[in-house]
Amino acid sequence: MLSILIRILSQMKNDRRTLVLLLFAPLLILTLLYFILGDSNYVPKIAVYDMDDSYTKLLDDNADVLVTEEKPEVNEYLENNNADAFLWKDAEGIHIALLKKNSKSGVAIKAIQETNQAMQSMQAKLIISYVFETNEDNQLDSLSFVFLGVLSFFFVFILSGMAFVRERFAQTLERMLMTPISRFEVIGGYTLGYGILSAFQSTFIILFAVYVLKLHVEGSILLCILVMILMAFSAVSIGALVSIFANNEFQLVQFIPIILIPQIFYSGLIPLETIPFGLGKLCYLTPIYYGCKSLEKIIVEGKGLGEIMPWVIGSVAYIGILFVINVFSLKKYRRL
Amino acid sequence: MKIEVNQVNKYFQKNIVLDHITLTIDSGKIFCLLGASGSGKTTLLRIIMGAIPIDNGEVLIGGKKVPDRQLLALIGFMPQNDALYEELSAWDNLKFFAGLQKLSRTQFLKNAKEVLEVVGLTEDKNKLIRNYSGGMKKRISLAVALIHQPKLLLLDEPTVGVDPVLRKKIWNYLKKLKESGTTIVVTTHVMDEALECDAAALLRNGHIIASDTVINLMNSTPNGKLDELFFMDDSSGQEEELC
Repeated sequence: MLSILIRILSQMKNDRRTLVLLLFAPLLILTLLYFILGDSNYVPKIAVYDMDDSYTKLLDDNADVLVTEEKPEVNEYLENNNADAFLWKDAEGIHIALLKKNSKSGVAIKAIQETNQAMQSMQAKLIISYVFETNEDNQLDSLSFVFLGVLSFFFVFILSGMAFVRERFAQTLERMLMTPISRFEVIGGYTLGYGILSAFQSTFIILFAVYVLKLHVEGSILLCILVMILMAFSAVSIGALVSIFANNEFQLVQFIPIILIPQIFYSGLIPLETIPFGLGKLCYLTPIYYGCKSLEKIIVEGKGLGEIMPWVIGSVAYIGILFVINVFSLKKYRRL
Repeated sequence: MKIEVNQVNKYFQKNIVLDHITLTIDSGKIFCLLGASGSGKTTLLRIIMGAIPIDNGEVLIGGKKVPDRQLLALIGFMPQNDALYEELSAWDNLKFFAGLQKLSRTQFLKNAKEVLEVVGLTEDKNKLIRNYSGGMKKRISLAVALIHQPKLLLLDEPTVGVDPVLRKKIWNYLKKLKESGTTIVVTTHVMDEALECDAAALLRNGHIIASDTVINLMNSTPNGKLDELFFMDDSSGQEEELC
């Protein structure tokens, strides 16, 4: 087992480009995401009708204000005038009409709320309505745990899967299995070897996210690293499992969407309760669910080890089950 | 280690690759599996060590039924393609396979020095395999098969792409191993190589068309050339027509 572990690590040491890609590619993507999802200086365009002058003035600090003299047909107006929000008031309170939920409408609402806060006298109720109802959540900033999880999972999955397929192709797997080594040791060595590599990667990613991208982690960073490492181990095991059933590199690439995309669905990007037909329950089959759920609890809710224990146990159990399956699947290459 | 192959059948999908192969390879001999490419040599070699399942029959090595994990510690296998780790140095490759065979550190150092000398790669041992030439890869692959001093050596086309001087050296070493009691099975499609062996089996389309000591085989041909055996067979007529 130790021989395999040492071999994997020295292979990686001699293959610098793979190593650099493994460590830096996730950072690159994470940085890109940070800028895409980060605070922009977007100034929302808000049309107002029949509001106080003082209010309009204040709103003008936060937004580009268009004053209309008569109340138009709201939906048409929003569509035709490229405005993000339309604001008016009546006896019920202040109405905000928006085209649809997205990051632009989010900025518009934020601008209006800030104005309301500044105007202490404005106690009116906010009534928000959308022209197009969509389910898109407007909290991408708080989804960092999804990206951390998915990113490290993705790269590790490819790494371990490819390594196994290549080993089969070069027939070093057959040669390795034609020694008295047990299948348990082969899978053990593999899981540990690539697990250690991906543990490095996960640590690297999270430290980068916290210290360079200033990701706000409510709970313990150390706990985050632990969860990421567990997730990395499950990614290694899934990679190995898939590669046993892929006959060549191309097939492995084809497995990536099959394995990975459902994982993204269950990573917390979509609230599981909203998935119909009880399909949300399938989350228990995706290792990323356990990891991302724990990460969410640590990063967003600031929970400790005690509170994330069920998911940590789930993660460990998942790795254990995959390990046993892999040891059995290897029978495909040697019956002993 | 005596090898007994009894009535072995092997199918790939519906095609029969080995048809009722029965063969006995005596302990301490160099045995040659001779045949054109596609005749089933490699498949037979793999079956002998238990790498692939058989559909019928059985293989015994030293009285033990194959596959057997303990038996694998006594077998050294050199596959046809090199099956080495490109990103590792020759030395690390040797070390890895020695580790799988659970060799002690001192035993490994001693064996490694010896096998590297035989294949003439002592000076290049720290180079990465990806920087090796084809012939060098072949030689280090042989060294890997020898690293744990196996009692039974299975070599799949060991001297293809090796220059004549080194080929001679390798054969001399194999003969030395034979003297010390190692059983060696070699596959080849080069008739000259068969002359270095004690006994040979000729394979064609999954059948053994002749199996005997090399001397007897040569005596059974009109001009003492092993090649003739392939033409003396009945089915050769059809093949010539196809040509």
